[in-house]
Amino acid sequence: MENEKNTSEVAVSVRNVRKSFGAAVVLEDINFDVSEGEILVFLGASGSGKTTILRIVAGLEIPDSGSVELHGKDVTSLPARERGTGVIFQSYALFPKMNVEHNIGYGLKIRRRKKAEVKTTVDDLIELVGLGEHRKKYPSQLSGGQQQRVAIARALAYKPEVLLFDEPFGALDAQIRTHLRREIRNLLKKIKVPSIFITHDQEEALELGDRIAILNQGRLEQIGTPYEIYNKPETEHVAKFLGSANILSGRAAGDEITIGNISLAPKEPHGLRDGQAIKLVFRPEDVFLRRPENLTQNYQKLAEGTIEEVSFAGAFERVAVRLDVSDATIMVVRPKTETAAFPLHAGQHVTAGLVRFRVLKDTSA
Amino acid sequence: MSTNLSNIRHVRGFDLVKPLSITAMVVVMLPLVLLPMASIFIFGTSSGLGSFWAALTAPEAIFALKLSIVTSFWATVFNVIFGLFAAYVLSKYNFWGRNALIVIISLPTAIPTAVAGFALLLLWGPYGILGRYLEPQGIHIMFTASAIILANIFVTFPLAFGVIKPVFETMSNSLEEASATMGATRWQTFWHVTLPSLRGAIVSGALLTFARAVGEFGSTILVSGNLAQRTQTAPLYIFAKFNEGQVEAANAIAIVLVVFSFLIFSILFLARDWLEAE
Amino acid sequence: MNLLRRVGFSLVLMAIVFTGCLPSPPEGSGGPSVTLFGFSILKEALEKDIIPSFKAKWKREHGADVEFPTSFAGSETVTNQILQGAPADLAILSIERDADRLVEGKAITHDFRQSPNKGIINKTPFVILVRKDNPKGITDFPDLAKPGVKLIHPDPVSSGGAQWSILSIYGSELKKSEAENGTPDAGRALRTLQAIWKNVISTPGSAREARTQFETGSGDALITYELEGLLMKQAGAAVDVIIPKSTIFSEHPAVLIDRNVTANERPVVEAFLKYLWSDEAQQAFVKYHFRSVTNESFNDANKEFAKIEQPFTVDMFGGWSKAYPEIIEKVFRDQVQGVR
Repeated sequence: MENEKNTSEVAVSVRNVRKSFGAAVVLEDINFDVSEGEILVFLGASGSGKTTILRIVAGLEIPDSGSVELHGKDVTSLPARERGTGVIFQSYALFPKMNVEHNIGYGLKIRRRKKAEVKTTVDDLIELVGLGEHRKKYPSQLSGGQQQRVAIARALAYKPEVLLFDEPFGALDAQIRTHLRREIRNLLKKIKVPSIFITHDQEEALELGDRIAILNQGRLEQIGTPYEIYNKPETEHVAKFLGSANILSGRAAGDEITIGNISLAPKEPHGLRDGQAIKLVFRPEDVFLRRPENLTQNYQKLAEGTIEEVSFAGAFERVAVRLDVSDATIMVVRPKTETAAFPLHAGQHVTAGLVRFRVLKDTSA
Repeated sequence: MSTNLSNIRHVRGFDLVKPLSITAMVVVMLPLVLLPMASIFIFGTSSGLGSFWAALTAPEAIFALKLSIVTSFWATVFNVIFGLFAAYVLSKYNFWGRNALIVIISLPTAIPTAVAGFALLLLWGPYGILGRYLEPQGIHIMFTASAIILANIFVTFPLAFGVIKPVFETMSNSLEEASATMGATRWQTFWHVTLPSLRGAIVSGALLTFARAVGEFGSTILVSGNLAQRTQTAPLYIFAKFNEGQVEAANAIAIVLVVFSFLIFSILFLARDWLEAE
Repeated sequence: MNLLRRVGFSLVLMAIVFTGCLPSPPEGSGGPSVTLFGFSILKEALEKDIIPSFKAKWKREHGADVEFPTSFAGSETVTNQILQGAPADLAILSIERDADRLVEGKAITHDFRQSPNKGIINKTPFVILVRKDNPKGITDFPDLAKPGVKLIHPDPVSSGGAQWSILSIYGSELKKSEAENGTPDAGRALRTLQAIWKNVISTPGSAREARTQFETGSGDALITYELEGLLMKQAGAAVDVIIPKSTIFSEHPAVLIDRNVTANERPVVEAFLKYLWSDEAQQAFVKYHFRSVTNESFNDANKEFAKIEQPFTVDMFGGWSKAYPEIIEKVFRDQVQGVR
């Protein structure tokens, strides 16, 4: 699943981690790396185990088996306080009885650094996160976004091996969320500290992550760049979780695949046995609808079908088409250029063509 | 009459219930609490300020007050520190017998103070279960100031604990986890993160314990030996004066204790507000 | 924390540490000491008069200062404290029974009745306290049975003073009938007791409580120690003391606590005990309304003392060991209290 990386670039390395709470297995067979300066985002539904991964890296939980390495050092048996990670909790966990300056300086204070050093570091960080006016304020006097910045500055003060963000945008308003997301990403790229985020929000994952890891019920289904995950999902869950997907069942036939009486030829060899059950996965925006006679060679013909419903969604048009073959209904998204050139309405008979698609082994068969 | 009342009720902003309930509250408090306290003041000064002052400055009285303050002080120090420690351990760790321990810690308040004093005598007295081995070594625990401190510790045992523990329970775990991930040892986390959040509860607990210890009587009279100017606390002194028939002198010291407690509780409320505010 | 708060904090800390030291007892000369436990009412007589004169005497004769740590409470409490190990060298109790308890508890190992006056250092008779000018016309115990008279009487089950009072009523009738007819009439004593008991309106748990109730206006009469009655009069209460024709004397023993007295303290403790029977001490007791046991003529010095025609003590019943089961239990509890 992982590309080989130059060892000196690897900041975090997690191997074969497994964790159960009582009888429930929360994580299984977890393997991943985070490179220097990289932002890795764990995306999954609640209960998928993503918080547990974060806590295991931080040292707040001990895995049943497996290892954690930070910059080449095995920290699996080290307690949290000896690992040097910086955690930004969901609630930020700022110390309520300390003001901004003292919160930020805490990490250095307990390492008994000299006052002058602490002051310079704190000053620099306050400037970095832009909280100069608020330095004497207490957490209760700060807004959510400001508190988050303090939490980040606090974690950075002692030069952590990695930053761990636990759903940091959950408590914020939608508008602030987008704005902050970009700010944080810019900041992280500037200071080049490797970071791990966990979230259930796909948009967040896509925007923040250099790479995304999809978690499903304690297992890592796929790790890759946003482009890879989106356009080349390796499992049905990944395909459905990020963006919307149309999924049709079929069979492998030699180099091609068949759905009912339709044949399609994938661009890359699918490597599956003849007759093996497969799932055909394609995104709504990768389907083009034409009157049967207008289909060109750019796309492969999928099937004929009847339009069930057309809905206007602002920047695009959503069309539900019931295919003749297999009686399945697929969702299609058409941009303005399409709707202008080829207007369609419910009840019309059309041909659906695919620009791209993925063939996945059907694991449920 | 009723027409007037209902007319008043319709006047905007007039709420009959508020002045009525406040008056009712004060009226109930009058015979139960306010008048008895007032009568202490009246009776204590009834022979004039001269004898009031003489009663206050009697060497036995001054000794008794000092002894009460000092023994209560040390009992408070111990119970606050232990209460803090016990609240920490009991809210952090789960173990077999945990709930039983919590109940046991709270028991001393249910035990009549005389029984508590008697139990201490049976244990530590010169003929007591353990005391009889200490006596030949020259270690006298009962009938000394230490006995008073021990009795005070027993009787006020759960007070500070009871005030501090709920604060632990409502404290969020993530603060301590944050401190740990930032590199702090358990002690550093306790000192810099946990303790400051407990300041208000510690002060409350300390003053509650202290005020209760100063007024303790039932156990003290048994374990102290009531030796004037040696082991006689203020409440014991008041009782002795009463038994001798010197009721005004008894009341004079009682006035001191009441005023002292009033001051303590006023400070308590002020300090707690100030501490919680930050 | 900034400087100001730090300074303030240290000051508070220092103040606490200094006040945290125990106050020290007075003197502390290191000389001999006599730890004295006594019943409350004795306090003034001892502390203001008897102890200072003894200390002066000892200083003259031996050149040393004697310390007297004291502890005063109810006689029963004092006894209980000593039984539990309180460090008393000497105990002065208000009832012989308490002294016997100390013997039982092995705090005393000698026979204290071998001391002069069988260990008794002073006494006080039981009298009837009435409102000033005696509006109900009470002259003796039987008058308490008159209709319309309200009596406060503590509960004999819990109060030593109440037990004395029962004995005084019962015994006085025995004594008077014997003087009149030659033999003591137990029937008459019982009937008088029953008649009086019908007028009891309140039975508080202790003599002290009874006294407080009477002081605050309840009842027309109170049977109590002459000593207490005189103290109340002295404090300005509107009461009169009625001396019955015949009444019992409450006798107060002083005992040496063998268990606690060390060998080198013994001389001074025994000297003080003996001093309690000296003329100076006995005369001092009279000043404080206790009656002397060594010399009846001393009692004339106290103008409040009236002569009692037919006095008796608990020996008339054979001591408390007999009086308690026979009179308090068999007569009072079974035939008077139950039959109200």
